[in-house]
Amino acid sequence: MTETIQQTDRPVDQPVEVSVSDLTVVYRTDLGELPAVSRASIDLVPGQITGLVGESGSGKSTLALAMLNAVPSPGRISSGSITVTGLGDVTKLAGRKLRHARGGTLGYVFQASQNSLNPLKTIGKQLLDLGRAHDVRDLRALVRRAAQLISEVGLDPDRVLDSYQHELSGGMRQRIGIVLALVLNARVLILDEPTTALDVLSQAAVLDIVRRVHRDSGLTTLIVTHDLGVVSEIADRLVVMYGGPNPEEGPATAVLHEPSHPYTRALIGAMARIVGDISAARVLPGRPPDLTTVPRQGCVFRDRCPLAMPVCAEEEPELVQWTPGRRRACHVEPTGVLS
Amino acid sequence: MKGFLRRLLMKLIAGLVMVWVVATFTFVLVHSLPGNPGDIEYDRLIMQGTPPEIAQAKAAVVAGFTSHEPLLQQYFGYLGQLLHGNLGVSISYSGVPVADVIASAAPWTVLPVLSGLVVSFIIGVAGGVIAAVKRSTRWGGLLTLSGSLMAGIPSFVLALLLAFLFHTLWQILPYGDTSDVTLTPGFNGPYIGSVITHAVLPVSTYALLTYGGWLLTMKSSVVSVLGDDFILAAELRGISPVTRMRYIARNAILPLFTVLAISVGYMFGGSVLIEDIFDYPGLGNLLLHSIGRRDYPLMGGAFLLITVAIILANILAELLYSVIDPRVRRA
Amino acid sequence: MSTLAAARARRSPWRVTRRVLLRKPGRVIGLAIIVFFTLMAIAGPMLYPGQLAVDPDNIYASPSGAHWLGTDFAGSDVLQEVIVGARYVLLTAAISALVTAALGTTIGLVAGYHRGFTDSSLMRVTDFVLTIPGFPLLVVLSTIWNFGRPLEMGLVLGVTGWGGVARAVRSQTLSLRERGFLEAARGLGLSNTHIIVRELLPNIAPYVAMNLLLSVIGFIGAEVALFFLGVVPFTSSNWGVMLNEAVFAGGAINSPQALSYLLAPLVCILLLTLGIVLFLDAIDELFNPRLRERS
Repeated sequence: MTETIQQTDRPVDQPVEVSVSDLTVVYRTDLGELPAVSRASIDLVPGQITGLVGESGSGKSTLALAMLNAVPSPGRISSGSITVTGLGDVTKLAGRKLRHARGGTLGYVFQASQNSLNPLKTIGKQLLDLGRAHDVRDLRALVRRAAQLISEVGLDPDRVLDSYQHELSGGMRQRIGIVLALVLNARVLILDEPTTALDVLSQAAVLDIVRRVHRDSGLTTLIVTHDLGVVSEIADRLVVMYGGPNPEEGPATAVLHEPSHPYTRALIGAMARIVGDISAARVLPGRPPDLTTVPRQGCVFRDRCPLAMPVCAEEEPELVQWTPGRRRACHVEPTGVLS
Repeated sequence: MKGFLRRLLMKLIAGLVMVWVVATFTFVLVHSLPGNPGDIEYDRLIMQGTPPEIAQAKAAVVAGFTSHEPLLQQYFGYLGQLLHGNLGVSISYSGVPVADVIASAAPWTVLPVLSGLVVSFIIGVAGGVIAAVKRSTRWGGLLTLSGSLMAGIPSFVLALLLAFLFHTLWQILPYGDTSDVTLTPGFNGPYIGSVITHAVLPVSTYALLTYGGWLLTMKSSVVSVLGDDFILAAELRGISPVTRMRYIARNAILPLFTVLAISVGYMFGGSVLIEDIFDYPGLGNLLLHSIGRRDYPLMGGAFLLITVAIILANILAELLYSVIDPRVRRA
Repeated sequence: MSTLAAARARRSPWRVTRRVLLRKPGRVIGLAIIVFFTLMAIAGPMLYPGQLAVDPDNIYASPSGAHWLGTDFAGSDVLQEVIVGARYVLLTAAISALVTAALGTTIGLVAGYHRGFTDSSLMRVTDFVLTIPGFPLLVVLSTIWNFGRPLEMGLVLGVTGWGGVARAVRSQTLSLRERGFLEAARGLGLSNTHIIVRELLPNIAPYVAMNLLLSVIGFIGAEVALFFLGVVPFTSSNWGVMLNEAVFAGGAINSPQALSYLLAPLVCILLLTLGIVLFLDAIDELFNPRLRERS
């Protein structure tokens, strides 16, 4: 892997809290090391909620885990860097420092469909475990802070702290997940599919809470989701992901209204059957990206792209600025996609 | 807590029902057997030259069944006696209450079984953790194979092999009986030493018998807990490795309580063979010999007691489980 | 790359089986051992027709060219006895497996399919069968019935040993139910019988097979043990009878004269156990695709 320092033209004048640059994550398989994320670059801006969207298999959850330097084996970060203000390059962190970064500066909220709490301990006990792991001196203050957060997310602190996981509903568990991610005053909040498997009302409630805590605590937030509806509701910026370098990124409303990449267009097209005119819905052709089937050379999306040209098979498109604040990686002219 | 108590009560009731069914079963068994136990005893006494009247009276007492009463009445009489802990009177130990015979035999089963259980638990659980963590290596695979194999090998094959290896071939351990017969039983060094060396083979057999169950269960349990979301979640929250290990351990231990109940059943069941091979005067041996001597009250008692031991182990497992798992305790 | 994935999808069950089997040499060895003993059980008695040859001048002989495994107390060839005895052991195990499969599958399926009262009462019975100490029960039963012949023995073992299979089948049925399998079949308007026999059974068969192989190990142990203890009459020559005579008549543990007589059946049981355990590993992987992914 050659280290190419890509000087991407990010929107200047904006400070950056987290900067993922040229990140490649590979998984070791029978067929050798295959990239799950290849040369991804994302900047998270303080005070903004960034949505990271893509189909399942597009590597978005892997990217989210990589931000905590927690790619599960047999995967590993093979190149690139993730710079977080105050922490430096997360990919270089190890041991105690890494452990304190996780849950400290970087708060991570699990998929709602997963059980992120120890079933045998009360929430309160797990909170204390968290405090001890991060060398919190004043555990009483920690509990007070947690109680305050718990009421902020609309739950009864005394009851919740004394509850076991099985005594809480899915939506409640997800709120606890957010509380535990923030209780040590995280500055960056990463949510992986925070609403999957929740019913519509809980979804709305959780999104509302995310929006509120984001604003109140002045966070830098990343929401990883396959659900464009979630993104359109909450995100300021949108990053579309597909195996390789992100096809497209930009302000959420702009990207959703004017997709400049065939993949984004296809994603939105596939969603139309839920929110809009069913006759307008189009199934995304082909299969979602898969470690074994993603092409090695050229544009990773070309096999499924209705606008593919010969050049797409040979050259990987670069992620370049298109209009102010928007970047795209596609050989087809933006106008060609929009029409 | 209420739900838990109710479950425990249900378990107890289920256990009692089971004891009742087994008791009824042995009663029916004894009464469908060729030759009434009383008659057998009567014949034996006549053969010894006892006058018929006395023999008649003695046989009635000894057998614990007055065969002249209607069957139903006998049955309720038997159940009534059972409630008072009276299991009838043994024939082969002429006149000794079955309960006493069993009480003197029980330690020779319970102590080796418990020691074997402790040994197999420690080795099996440790092996299971190693087999889980190293599951992709050759050693992990071999460890798992050893567990499957030990779980599969019949108890008497294990017992005979151990006896053959350590007694016949290498001659390092004594075999047969509970101690050296030349020593006087009591609280003295040589006797206790002899009891311990004689116990090594039977205890090892019990231990090896259940080692596989612990190992395989612990392995799959650890593997599944390691893959659980909350372990990764704890890691992502920066929880320390020691605490994470504690999380894993407590969650992985849960399925082991099922193994506890199964193991105890397995060991008590195997005691028939193991005690016969090692000539141990325990419950299994008692059961076997009562059959050989047509001592049906003793047979019924021994079988009943083995069943009760297993039921108790089941209830104990349930109790321990609910102490650890709040989903059961607070359901 | 994509052609590779397509090829994988096209793979036939036989090919998958072969691949899984060949992945670890132990599995092939396991299968070979099982086949070896099955052949021994089928062909063994044909090799030695009629009564066992007895040679009174040559009792407890050591292994030699004439008697590869030596001779027993009556001067019979041990190898011959082992081979002839295999039929009883395997035939009985097969019969009990059949009985167990029939009983366990039926009870487990009915319980898992109907749920509610049927389920809870059937499971009470299953719990009962599982809790009753199996081997002592067999010993006690031997007092009222001399179930020495293969059919009788197989029946008794099967009738007392179906608990594990019933449990496994029930939980598998419940998990199919949870996956919406049954609702889908009902939605198509299929009858209960059709759903159970044509839809559920094929999906459950692998688990039955696995649990059956596990119980077969137990059955072999139990039948041999009953003969070893001498509580059932010696109707035919088999490994259990050999062990009984070696240990109790020959005093094999204390004197080495009956050594090969003792070891031959023991080693056979050990080998058969090992064979089944090794082979189970392959079946496990075949039917648990989760394991297949992780190489």
